[in-house]
Amino acid sequence: MSKEVQELVKRLRPGLSLGEYGKVYDDTSEFMKISYGDVIRLEGQHYLVIRDEAERSFGIEDPKYWVKRCIHLESGERKILKLVFYEKFSLKLGDIEIPCFRSPRKEARILELVRGDKRFMQGVSCLDSKGNLVRILDVVSGKRLDHFVFEIEKGHKEYFFQDLPAILENFMDSCRAIKFLHDHGEIHGDIRRDHLWREYKSGQYVWIDFDYAYEFEESPFGLDIFGLGSLLIYLAGKQIYTEANLQHIMADKQIELEENDFSLLYKNRIVNLKKLFPYIPRELNLVFMHFSQGAEVFYETVDEFLYDLEPCIELIRKKGGQP
Amino acid sequence: MNYKKILVAVDASENARRAAEYVGEIVGESPGFEITLLYVVRHAERDLFPDDKSWENRKKQEKEKAKYVLSELKTLLHTYGLSEDTVSTRLIEISNFSIAQAVMDYQKSGGFGTIVVGRRGMSKAEEFLFGSISNKIVHYAKNCAVWVIE
Repeated sequence: MSKEVQELVKRLRPGLSLGEYGKVYDDTSEFMKISYGDVIRLEGQHYLVIRDEAERSFGIEDPKYWVKRCIHLESGERKILKLVFYEKFSLKLGDIEIPCFRSPRKEARILELVRGDKRFMQGVSCLDSKGNLVRILDVVSGKRLDHFVFEIEKGHKEYFFQDLPAILENFMDSCRAIKFLHDHGEIHGDIRRDHLWREYKSGQYVWIDFDYAYEFEESPFGLDIFGLGSLLIYLAGKQIYTEANLQHIMADKQIELEENDFSLLYKNRIVNLKKLFPYIPRELNLVFMHFSQGAEVFYETVDEFLYDLEPCIELIRKKGGQP
Repeated sequence: MNYKKILVAVDASENARRAAEYVGEIVGESPGFEITLLYVVRHAERDLFPDDKSWENRKKQEKEKAKYVLSELKTLLHTYGLSEDTVSTRLIEISNFSIAQAVMDYQKSGGFGTIVVGRRGMSKAEEFLFGSISNKIVHYAKNCAVWVIE
């Protein structure tokens, strides 16, 4: 079998040498067996597996055996193949646990819906020889937006007035992308900081990973909107603030915090950023406070959220003395 | 609007049972009342299941459960003295749609003057993420009284 892969590589990518030549797989059901040096064949195209993708969480690598980093042998392009893995698990948000399902169908449908829309990762889906719905994704050449923001080498005030308005303009476009999904009866389902990327070349913000599905609830968009709010608060603060890290970051300041200053879900995160940075416009801080423990009114649609957020960009520019 | 024409929105929860008991206590053997127990079954989306068969099985189970609950709550109302003619049941199946909206649509089309709904204690965070059926009905129902039973 290894000879078959060797010949494929020799024929299609002659410049490529591998440490190991594995098998050719037409059926991806047993994805744990498929690893470095194997080739996945889908609709006559060949994808050489380089490695399993992994997520880093709290410094620990969590391998995702059903997600393969590949080289498309016919074109030489890097691709990510997501194989079928039906999993039900609990998504933990603060103290709340939500039953969550991985749905290849949902992700394939959204890929089709957003074809050509640069605000989303791009890809196609196809069936393997056993009818498994495989998603073939383009690699986003960029960096997580939160990492990009965190690494901007400026103090908060400088960042807030010089960089944030343009970042928020782009972020609003990302929010409109989520609204587009909602308008078509879909949700992203996993809006977290590591799922919004910024492309190196274009600076375009790109949503990735939308295969999470849930039992339908009375407010179907609540989860997505909370994710957008948490991202906004991160962008405005340039990082997360908790009582613990505040002691290091602002050791010289006396800041009195109360329960209502913290996130509704993540009880240790400060959302009332105006207490930390008094130059934040009141209007913007009020948007943050919709995601706080003191909130009495919640956003039910992305439109409501954007309606409040949009004028804040101009306010920041005015306060910062920009035209 | 006939306030004696009462729509009781129920499901398999304890709160729904409390709502039915409350209606039983209030109405009892009084004349002129018309009670409809409404169970809106919101089917899980096909996305959550690996194949059609498991999805269809789940839908069937949900429907059977709803029928059982309706029959049980109807019997419960009879124990409070409500006659066979006074209580009817209705099951509506929806998918990817608001239960609160389905209840309000049924209230409107049936000319019900009162909606009764149970409320489970929800934290603020749960309300943000999942929404509350009873809150939606309180906010948006028109031309009727709304009783919320906790």
